[in-house]
Amino acid sequence: MDLNLNRADYLQVGVTSQKTMKLLPASRHRATQKVVIGDHSGVVTCFGMKKGEAVAVFKTLPGQKIARLELGGVLNTPQEKIFIAAGSEIRGFTKRGKQFLSFETNLTESIKAMHISGSDLFLSASYIYNHYCDCKDQHYYLSGDKINDVICLPVERLPRITPVLACQDRVLRVLQGSDVVYEVEVPGPPTVLTLHNGNGGDSGEDLLFGTSDGKLGLIQITPSKPIHKWEIRNEKKRGGVLCVDSFDIVGDGVKDLLVGRDDGMVEVYSFDNANEPVLRFDQALSESVTSVQGGCVGKDGYDEIVLSTYSGWVTGLTTEPVHKESGPGEELKINQDMQNKISCLRSELEHLQYKVLQEREKYQQSSQSSKAKSTVPSFSINDKFTLNKDDASYSLILEVQTAIDNVLIQSDVPIDLLDVDKNSAVVSFSSCDSESNDNFLLATYRCQANTTRLELKIRSIEGQYGTLQAYVTPRIQPKTCQVRQYLIKPLSLHQRTHCIDHDRPVNTLTLTGQFSFAEVHSWVVFCLPEVPEKPPAGECVTFYFQNTFLDTQLESNYRKGEGVFKSDNISTISILKDVLSKEATKRKINLNISYEINEVSVKHTLKLIHPKLEYQLLLAKKVQLIDALKELQVHEGNTNFLIPEYRCILEEADHLQEEYKKQPAHLERLYGMITDLFIDKFKFKGTNVKTKVPLLLEILDSYDQNALIAFFDAA
Amino acid sequence: MLLPVFTLKLRHKISPRMVAVGRYDGTHPCLAAATQAGKVFIHNPHTRSQHFSASRVFQSPLESDVSLLNINQAVSCLTAGVLNPQLGYDTLLVGTQTNLLAYDVYNNSDLFYREVADGANTIVLGILGDISSPLAIIGGNCALQGFDHEGNDLFWTVTGDNVHSLALCDFDGDGKKELLVGSEDFDIRVFKEDEIVAEMTETEIITSLCPMYGSRFGYALSNGTVGVYDKTARYWRIKSKNHAMSIHAFDLNSDGVCELITGWSNGKVDARSDRTGEVIFKDNFSSAIAGVVEGDYRMDGHVELICCSVDGEIRGYLPGTAETRGNLMDTSIEQDLIRELSQKKQNLLLELHNYEENAKAELSSPPNEADGQRGVIPANTKLHTALSVNLGNETQDAHAELCISTSNDTIIRAVLIFAEGIFLGESHVVHPSVHNLSSSIRIPITPPKDVPVDLHLKTFVGYRSSTQFHVFELTRQLPRFSMYALTSPDSAREPLSYVNFVIAERAPRVVIWLNQNFLLPEDTNIQNAPFQVCFTSLRNGGQLYIKIKLSGEITVNTDDIDLAGDIIQSMASSFAIEDLQVEADFPIYFEELRKVLVKVDEYHSMHQKLSADMADNSNLIRSLLVRAEDARLMRDMKTMKNRYMELYDLNKDLINGYKIRCNNHTELLGNLKAVNQAIQRAGRLRVGKPKNQVITACRDAIRSNNTNMLFRIMRVGTASS
Repeated sequence: MDLNLNRADYLQVGVTSQKTMKLLPASRHRATQKVVIGDHSGVVTCFGMKKGEAVAVFKTLPGQKIARLELGGVLNTPQEKIFIAAGSEIRGFTKRGKQFLSFETNLTESIKAMHISGSDLFLSASYIYNHYCDCKDQHYYLSGDKINDVICLPVERLPRITPVLACQDRVLRVLQGSDVVYEVEVPGPPTVLTLHNGNGGDSGEDLLFGTSDGKLGLIQITPSKPIHKWEIRNEKKRGGVLCVDSFDIVGDGVKDLLVGRDDGMVEVYSFDNANEPVLRFDQALSESVTSVQGGCVGKDGYDEIVLSTYSGWVTGLTTEPVHKESGPGEELKINQDMQNKISCLRSELEHLQYKVLQEREKYQQSSQSSKAKSTVPSFSINDKFTLNKDDASYSLILEVQTAIDNVLIQSDVPIDLLDVDKNSAVVSFSSCDSESNDNFLLATYRCQANTTRLELKIRSIEGQYGTLQAYVTPRIQPKTCQVRQYLIKPLSLHQRTHCIDHDRPVNTLTLTGQFSFAEVHSWVVFCLPEVPEKPPAGECVTFYFQNTFLDTQLESNYRKGEGVFKSDNISTISILKDVLSKEATKRKINLNISYEINEVSVKHTLKLIHPKLEYQLLLAKKVQLIDALKELQVHEGNTNFLIPEYRCILEEADHLQEEYKKQPAHLERLYGMITDLFIDKFKFKGTNVKTKVPLLLEILDSYDQNALIAFFDAA
Repeated sequence: MLLPVFTLKLRHKISPRMVAVGRYDGTHPCLAAATQAGKVFIHNPHTRSQHFSASRVFQSPLESDVSLLNINQAVSCLTAGVLNPQLGYDTLLVGTQTNLLAYDVYNNSDLFYREVADGANTIVLGILGDISSPLAIIGGNCALQGFDHEGNDLFWTVTGDNVHSLALCDFDGDGKKELLVGSEDFDIRVFKEDEIVAEMTETEIITSLCPMYGSRFGYALSNGTVGVYDKTARYWRIKSKNHAMSIHAFDLNSDGVCELITGWSNGKVDARSDRTGEVIFKDNFSSAIAGVVEGDYRMDGHVELICCSVDGEIRGYLPGTAETRGNLMDTSIEQDLIRELSQKKQNLLLELHNYEENAKAELSSPPNEADGQRGVIPANTKLHTALSVNLGNETQDAHAELCISTSNDTIIRAVLIFAEGIFLGESHVVHPSVHNLSSSIRIPITPPKDVPVDLHLKTFVGYRSSTQFHVFELTRQLPRFSMYALTSPDSAREPLSYVNFVIAERAPRVVIWLNQNFLLPEDTNIQNAPFQVCFTSLRNGGQLYIKIKLSGEITVNTDDIDLAGDIIQSMASSFAIEDLQVEADFPIYFEELRKVLVKVDEYHSMHQKLSADMADNSNLIRSLLVRAEDARLMRDMKTMKNRYMELYDLNKDLINGYKIRCNNHTELLGNLKAVNQAIQRAGRLRVGKPKNQVITACRDAIRSNNTNMLFRIMRVGTASS
């Protein structure tokens, strides 16, 4: 059956955070439900739809930004009490809007995630997790990295309370009381957790997770160990998952999976006979989908997917057909409704415009006086700067509540700005005088009307570090711009991982000196991405990293007064050495740096690069041949006379070209890294081999693995 | 939602912009398009059984209903249409860099095959002005040429630069078609037969032009801009990061008015309203669009819009019916309108909120450091801008300079200048490092051409520690001759070249013109006529003298003929002069031109000699091959080997000869371009009728190879003494 959903916009509130919209339970099956939503201005709005008009049930006064909104109530009764987390406070409302709870948690940080189950309240701030029962503190846990979401397996179905934390370091932490029972590694930084089918599935232990790099998975959390059920890899390179819900929208009796992503994608997965998810429907909206839930809002009897977006739109994707076949009269009525709505909006606009004009004049007048100040209107920017594992590049996503006028990108390190197909903005690179003004990149993006979201792709070079700044100017009056800064770290292409291959030959860099644990931690934070800013608990810590481009690894182990870094890639060690000594000198700390170089590691790294290089060279060669072969094909009519290799290229032509397009400058980057490897190898020996680099490039041009290794050995 | 009525996937690539639909047998519309390896394919889905058996056309081995036409040269333009009205069916016209072929597909014969020295970059077929027979007009190297069905060139004129696009359109509404020419110097020129009636300057190379209806026409630039002009006024334009490959006018929503259909390099096709540029329909292909044409391809009496992608995918769309009028997209208009209005409302609310916040902040304490970080600045902060000429120093070349400063202690964090045509991209950014922040900024600007430019400035103003900045937006105009600095006259360096003309304007008006078009220092005081001013070019240090006598006689001394032309055109437009005869002398330039003319002759004779050589060699090859094969049959292996060795050597000679010919040809093209440009430049020194007279007379002089006459015309403006 084809799923055909039509979009209907209901209402716009302020900017919303992740998981801040819910549908109140319906009085009967398929009756219309009320929507509750909390926004950044602190307002909770509850409304229902009547004849295509949004009718408010209640609306609270503005306050602190609402980070989460959940429904609760006595277990096994309809969950219709509304709970919101704002700042460090939890407030509760009845479905009529009467406040019955105001609970100040006394957490030092503001609450980021919340889960409610009966009288149990599970909260998490950035690093802290707290469990309250009837508002009394029960358990506490300090996490090693940021907590993105918290959930508890259904207590009514299981004999125990099992909270699960989704942490930024790609781990789900399963708790028991205040202690971690075990950790589950997931393929990306998890951003959202939900119970499978809304109740934990057949076992009551099934947990769905979504990651910030767009992956989804199902894990069964048994008391002793996790069981991975399935995983959806993000093949289409869609955005990160922000919200997940289970609802039978297809109407086959099995609950489907509704997914909202930060690039505006809404997806519906249904389950096949083997209980594997299959994509059934997707629709792209123009901005982040912050919450999603299945239900019935617009018209009773018609199921729909209700979602809220970053800028506060509540939108339904409904099964109700747009054009009914009941007769011309009906359609006319629908149009009439629309017309009324439009004229209503228009008159409202006129009124507003008049008011704005008055205010604008006042503002202009104030600019005459010398004492008056002019403030900049603040607007919120939703930004995300992440490393993509697949092509070892960074993506920067900027989202603003109103349309963006232009964005200025400035960088004081050499980086490449790549084109993103989805963007419609006109990019223009400006010349920059790098010596005097520290500019290596100046580019403007002039956005088309109604663009609220901009995605950029950036390629960095390891060893070159600095700051990338984005000046975002939206289309609001008075015109202002906000600057956002993003650090390009020295080892920018590394990614945290939890297990590494300990058998590789490694080079070791050891630091000793009079420095504290916090100091050495701050250096590691400075050098490497994905390390929590707060020094972890304990006296000594070990982090593992993987180079996303070359698959080499790095182990860092440090404590007060000592730090040990091990990597099979000599360039990584070289970069660390340079940066650390520079940092230490800056802070006037006396540092002893010693290193141990393993000659075998160079050969090992070259062998790691070999398959990638060979693949790229072959690909480039094949792509070069495609056009000529196609011409032959046109001329001769068939390809029987060609050798199988060429025939194969012709058959795969489209695929090859796509592959080639996907990784621009891949070969150049590999060459650069081999050159670095070469220079670094000899740098540690104290010889400068820069003069031999042209020779190396010559060898690379006619690549042969043995010749390359021989060259490395001989020089 | 409009869906394609047919989709075809041909296994031939299609070269961009080279697609045409024609009824080559008078009834069945067939699609002709240039493909790889110097071939043209003709897709004929209607008469499957018909086979061409001649040498030029052969059946495509890949597809049964496609035949291939071998051109043996890279095709540079292609069109189809009625060239000979007596034939009653369409002719296919194929242009390459050296030739133009008019081909009768039905009878498989050439109507004509002409050598065109200036190349054929683009072609248009139709009736121009009062010329009775249809012309195939090709645009090449600064030249335009029109041929009738017998291959006679009935039309020839020159234009400013390489021609990239042509269209026929009734520009002035007199019922006759004028020729629109888009060229590499960013100009769209309108030719009423061989007289230029209008010129519009765009910001990039004009890649496509298409007539819409009446005097309205669409255009596309190489930087991704498309838009619509009505006569000389631009209705709208939009810019995309993709490139418009092909544009076409077609009434897709059946409202009686054509929309502008654009095929983009990313595979998108969109239809935009001719009035507003609003998108009323769009669709996506998997690869770049090669061409957008129209034709009754299904032979059911309805004309479809046909879009072709470079990979050979072809989709046809029928115009929407009256019911779906204005609603070709899948979302309903009302929904969109509501969304748009709500967004507007939200923006207004936000603005209102901003003013409220501002009012609140005003009540609080006086400005302090914390305010600075939030981006609070004194409300009376003003921004001053000034344009001046900077003569440069050792480290920096001379340039025009834009100085921006704030009126108090606030700093300028960055300046964005959006302007077209003077920077590499569309914008220039100045972003000082944190240590160099101050309340004023000097920005060097060096426009490469003498055109007036609007500078749209966005200045980010705040304090050192701010994370939010105020954006001051303002627009300044950079005058046309901003790259010339006023200097004191130095008669020793006065250029020998000059133009001389008389205008009926009083001196103060000329002074106003000077002020508008040059960056004069503020204290400049120009006394009454007669006076003279002297400028130095910041680009090459060349001198420019403008002298005006009491009688209204103006003399402009400069060695730069383009500059002289620009000054005359600028004066003419600001004083509304319709006709202006000018006496001119550019000894240095004319001497160069004389050399070029000599060279052209040399290259021509060289070309003929080389062609003769080639013919000789090909005869030799034939005989060598026969002799070698004879030897093989006689089993005289030694002789055969020798013969083949000779053949090999000869082949090498031929390849060398070919290379020489190629070089010769490019040189020739370059020189021909220089000649064409010289005529154009001589024309630009005059205005109105004298201008056209000069161009026509120069052309005649070149045809009759009368060099002295040519220079005479360039000097005095007429052929007769």
